[in-house]
Amino acid sequence: MADDKVMIIMTSGPDTPRRCATPFFFASLAAAMEYEVTMFFTIDGTLLLKKGMAETIFPKEGGKPVSAFIQDALDAGVEFLACTASTELHDMQPSDLLEGVKMVGGASMWQIAEDCKTVLTF
Amino acid sequence: MSNVRGCNLPDDLYYLVEKHVWAKPLEGGVYRVGITAVAAKLSGGKLAALTVKAKNIGQEVKQAKSLATLESSKFVGPVPAPLSGVVLRANEKLVADPNLAISDPYGEGWVAEMQPTDWENEVGNLAFGAEGIAAYQAKLEAENITCS
Repeated sequence: MADDKVMIIMTSGPDTPRRCATPFFFASLAAAMEYEVTMFFTIDGTLLLKKGMAETIFPKEGGKPVSAFIQDALDAGVEFLACTASTELHDMQPSDLLEGVKMVGGASMWQIAEDCKTVLTF
Repeated sequence: MSNVRGCNLPDDLYYLVEKHVWAKPLEGGVYRVGITAVAAKLSGGKLAALTVKAKNIGQEVKQAKSLATLESSKFVGPVPAPLSGVVLRANEKLVADPNLAISDPYGEGWVAEMQPTDWENEVGNLAFGAEGIAAYQAKLEAENITCS
């Protein structure tokens, strides 16, 4: 088990805007603490990675859109992985996803989780 | 104390200009380190937390690597170490009031104390004195940063 790897599994999506800022904030924070951070998107979380979607979701009225939280996390070096099965659930094509997001199967999630010190789920 | 583009920058500190952090020699070869008024401005002016990673206490942190983290509503990011050294202690006052690092960044709001492990090699990377302030000023001008 690596001492410096953590993972955040993101299942919340556009239906629950208030659940869509903190996971990215925590990911950026972990990166600032020099953890190697992976965010794994599945169920409705994958919808946040659809091009143009996160710009329209506001966790707080008058606040920053989810896209700004996503950008902060990407800038901090967080790796984004999208669950292949969840893209099928939402009829998304690989070309629908934000630049830099990799698609992986569920088995990859298990392998990463096993290698991580901490796994959080939102 | 110099005032550069509205930012207070004491003349007697060693600055890692790229990271907006400072180091000040204390007695016994120990250095006190903290964030600059520029970092305080860039973080949005009001902090929710400034946390020295507990695992870093007693351990060596390399220059420019994450010593602590800053959290505000506008910003989350690392407080890089201005020098490589063993972290001796964190400023516990910041636990109760992280905004001391904003209101008094060179005094009560210091972040940690460190015992340098590679000072001779690293001092050349740090800006100091009138020349150092001029280098810091050049960066602020290049990036159009002001503190006012």
